[in-house]
Amino acid sequence: MYFDPRSLLFFGANALLLHCMLMLGSALSPWSIFPVLIGPMLIFPVLYMRHSAYFLCALCTGLWVDAALPVPFGLLTGLFLITGAITFMLRNRFRAEENDHPCLLAHILNLMVIILLAAISSGKTQHLFDFWIQTALCAVASHLLLLAIAPWFFNLQRLLLEMLHLDTKPEDLPHL
Amino acid sequence: MAKFRLDRYKPLLALGLFFAVWWIGKPLVQSFLQISFTEFQAPSWVATSHLDGLAGFWARRSHSKVELIEAGKELERENARYQIMRQRYRTLEDELSRLEAMLEMPGRREFRHEIARVIRREQSAWWGRIIVRKGRNYDIRVGAAVVFAGGVVGRVTEVHAYTSEIDLITSPDFRIAAQFEDDPRPVIYQGLPQDGFAKPHGEVRDVPQDLLASSSQPIKLVTTSLGGTFPAGLSIGTVDWLQPGSSGIFQSGAVQLDPRLLQLREVAILVPLEAGTHSHVF
Repeated sequence: MYFDPRSLLFFGANALLLHCMLMLGSALSPWSIFPVLIGPMLIFPVLYMRHSAYFLCALCTGLWVDAALPVPFGLLTGLFLITGAITFMLRNRFRAEENDHPCLLAHILNLMVIILLAAISSGKTQHLFDFWIQTALCAVASHLLLLAIAPWFFNLQRLLLEMLHLDTKPEDLPHL
Repeated sequence: MAKFRLDRYKPLLALGLFFAVWWIGKPLVQSFLQISFTEFQAPSWVATSHLDGLAGFWARRSHSKVELIEAGKELERENARYQIMRQRYRTLEDELSRLEAMLEMPGRREFRHEIARVIRREQSAWWGRIIVRKGRNYDIRVGAAVVFAGGVVGRVTEVHAYTSEIDLITSPDFRIAAQFEDDPRPVIYQGLPQDGFAKPHGEVRDVPQDLLASSSQPIKLVTTSLGGTFPAGLSIGTVDWLQPGSSGIFQSGAVQLDPRLLQLREVAILVPLEAGTHSHVF
């Protein structure tokens, strides 16, 4: 089986991003804001690597995130693999060399994560207006942060690929 | 005719295969992976907490000697005060034990106070929890009560090798039996999603109709020993407003919690002791 060392690098970067996200969440807890910055984690593995390597990386990242958050274990892994499979099938439509398409995909995935978290968390409170206000506040804060963090994260991943002399080109180039 | 390419559907086939394996091996695979991944990332949080402590140490080193001497004096005064309180506490404990023996009352449930440092806080509309730096290595158990100087913090929900997860009293999943001070009738406390930039709050339900609360005379909500988890009399919060509940038989109202709840640095976990062992708060 072909093993792509980039999957290790992407997984490491994802673990770092999750750690930073949780540290930020801890700092913002007095204001009850929990920033969700999970969107960018899946983008480069899907766009850059062949299927086996992407799948392994997405699976490990999903399990890592699931273990860190108080959600049913496997929930975000499932979401990662489903959205990853769809994005993978369409990946030759996206330009991974620049940040525009990855950022857009990261925002879409992040929004899906927020909607899923809101949908599954404590069904008893979903009828409360406060719940949706606070969810909207978290979503806005997360996406504002993501505007800055997603490009930084993608550039960091590219930089690490260059520094470690790994292949900096995606497997499939987009159709022009 | 275009050739049918099966490899295009490889991602979907792999996904289907994964879900089949996940579903078939659900209990074994899931629990193994969950424990492995959780334990694997715990050291990074413990290390972050130690680094935080180190940063605090160096920050304190920059204080002037005069400031440190002042702080030392303040601590000395506090120490003296606590020593007096300790004597008083022991006298009262002895008196209580004597009265219990005289009246042949059943023994109270005793707890050991395990002080633990908070390494992570998560408070949102979806959940409210903290993670502390003590786990199975300190004999922490699932369901143990967690308290701080301001009253109830929450309940231990998960215990790992070196860390424990605590569901906060503000979490929508948190619910306990409670009672009002000077009123033995049980009521229900329920956590609620927190508003950003507002004080922490919860909700009290099943309050008898004859109880009255107002902002000028708020009533204090405390724990009851009915649930078995918390010792009786620990402060939960205050209620300054009650209104008829949805059933019309009981009242409900908002509970104002201690604002320090959202900035906790250390908490005490109440580990139940074996019968016949006495707790030592001081």
